Amino acid sequence: MILPGERIFSRRKVLKLLGAAGGGVALSSLTLQASAAEQESSALKTIESFTGPADNSHWNSVGPYISEPQKAPLILLTDRPIQLETPRHYFTSAFTPNEAFYVRWHLENIPNAIDLKNWKLLVEGNVTKPAAFSLPELMQKFEEVSVAAANQCSGNSRSRLQPRVPGGQWGNGAMGNALWTGVRLRQILDVAGVKPGSTQVQFQGLETGGGPKGLGSHEFLKSLDLTNPVIDDCVVAYLMNGEPLPLLNGFPVRLVVPGYFATYWMKCLTWIRVVDKPDENFWMKTGYRIPDTPRGNTTPEEVKAGTVKTVPIGRMPVRSFAITPDGSAKIPVGMRVTLRGIAFSGYARVVKVEVSEDGGKSWLAAKLGDDYGPYSFRTWEMPWSAKTAGKHTLMVRATDEKGNAQPDEPVWNAGGYLWNRIERLEFVAGNAA
Amino acid sequence: MTRTVPATLLALSLALLVASGARHAQLHSGNYQPAELGNLQQITQPEFSADSTYGVPAYPLYPPELAPGEGKQETEAYCALCHSTRYITMQPPLPAATWETEVNKMNKTFGANIPEAVSQKIARYLQAHYTPETRKQ
Repeated sequence: MILPGERIFSRRKVLKLLGAAGGGVALSSLTLQASAAEQESSALKTIESFTGPADNSHWNSVGPYISEPQKAPLILLTDRPIQLETPRHYFTSAFTPNEAFYVRWHLENIPNAIDLKNWKLLVEGNVTKPAAFSLPELMQKFEEVSVAAANQCSGNSRSRLQPRVPGGQWGNGAMGNALWTGVRLRQILDVAGVKPGSTQVQFQGLETGGGPKGLGSHEFLKSLDLTNPVIDDCVVAYLMNGEPLPLLNGFPVRLVVPGYFATYWMKCLTWIRVVDKPDENFWMKTGYRIPDTPRGNTTPEEVKAGTVKTVPIGRMPVRSFAITPDGSAKIPVGMRVTLRGIAFSGYARVVKVEVSEDGGKSWLAAKLGDDYGPYSFRTWEMPWSAKTAGKHTLMVRATDEKGNAQPDEPVWNAGGYLWNRIERLEFVAGNAA
Repeated sequence: MTRTVPATLLALSLALLVASGARHAQLHSGNYQPAELGNLQQITQPEFSADSTYGVPAYPLYPPELAPGEGKQETEAYCALCHSTRYITMQPPLPAATWETEVNKMNKTFGANIPEAVSQKIARYLQAHYTPETRKQ
């Protein structure tokens, strides 16, 4: 196996190769080339295999780019189960292309193929009429609805936490936004008839793991309270941005839980199970829980003392990102460039994005892009020019309709969830003449 | 550089694959095969039939090179029964106690059932190569 970084020639290697070839004539021109290559190589370092113990300083995580079926090259976190991160440059538009949408599975046995002749969406448990819907039945028997909704992994940006916590070491790219089209979960539940006394609805997809039955390593199950208003917003989606879902994103249907972290958005959804007791499986009782504190904050000391009361993770706190310029190029002083990015909140629509160039003392409002509804990414942009040469740090902050604004304090909890600190954009302005 | 995927591991993966297939008749799943990094493909248009099966090729595997040392073989063999050892290399350097906790979690919470002596060996290996004091690669 050759790591991409090993292919980069250093000046020393180039000169060594030259010496081996015995050529002295071309030395001066090659030396010039080598010197240029050396300058470049400071930007083209070998791909790091990890970051830490400090926080990850990159926008994305640090894995290599890889190709998975139906996918554009994405950043590899793990190959089995599959976890892939979306590169930064995809986030200047409101909708994330399906082929670039991040991937996060929990267990290793995920579908390579599904035969729709046999596949059914099953509604079972505490219902009066258990039901099984084929894909054509879902597409024809129910009203078709669409919702633009951001999907973000609970552990997005986990690699920012200090001290670092174990888990998927995501940068910022475990998120995406799509137009999801399908049928309302509520309609499906109504057809099956939820019996009185039911408490939760549990979702299961087609992934399984090698662990013993009954454990989290064998199956992945998530539940929502039937009294949770989000049930009325949920969609069982068979279209993603007007296309079938990639298998890695949950073909043939996926649960869409607008405003909520992606852990509830069951991929390859196959079982909808109404239950009359609290779901105590690993993925509800132990995994994906956050401290019952403001912003889900706690400390390693409190965790160690066992004094942290936790609740299942829910809605996504407001976030915003500056995507361009990305700092990979200098910007001439006085050149008016366009700062671009996206913002979203799981609580209400984003109504304000602001940029600060003085460390948060003063803020300038950015222009917001089209409004695709309260749960969607919303693009923002702002013309900006550097007045002085040197390093610049801009801050970007979003506020939603309920008044939730991004704070500038970090978050820490043992799961590495809920990071939404104000992001910073760093680049260098150069003299224009 | 040679890749070391123990034959027993492949056989076991195959057995798990069959087991999972039996559970979901409509499902062909958990199919992976080794791949080369740096070999990025464009999205392809395979020769599809018009039947009701919707599938993709095997998912690629990119086994990382773990740090050489005592316990590496056991770590590769046992951890990779359920997940890629990229779950190890992806982590930031973690304190020795955290690796102990992780190995315990795999056994107790996830039922990995690794023999006690081997669990100890795996924990010592991870501590010897993947803590802030010891991590090199």
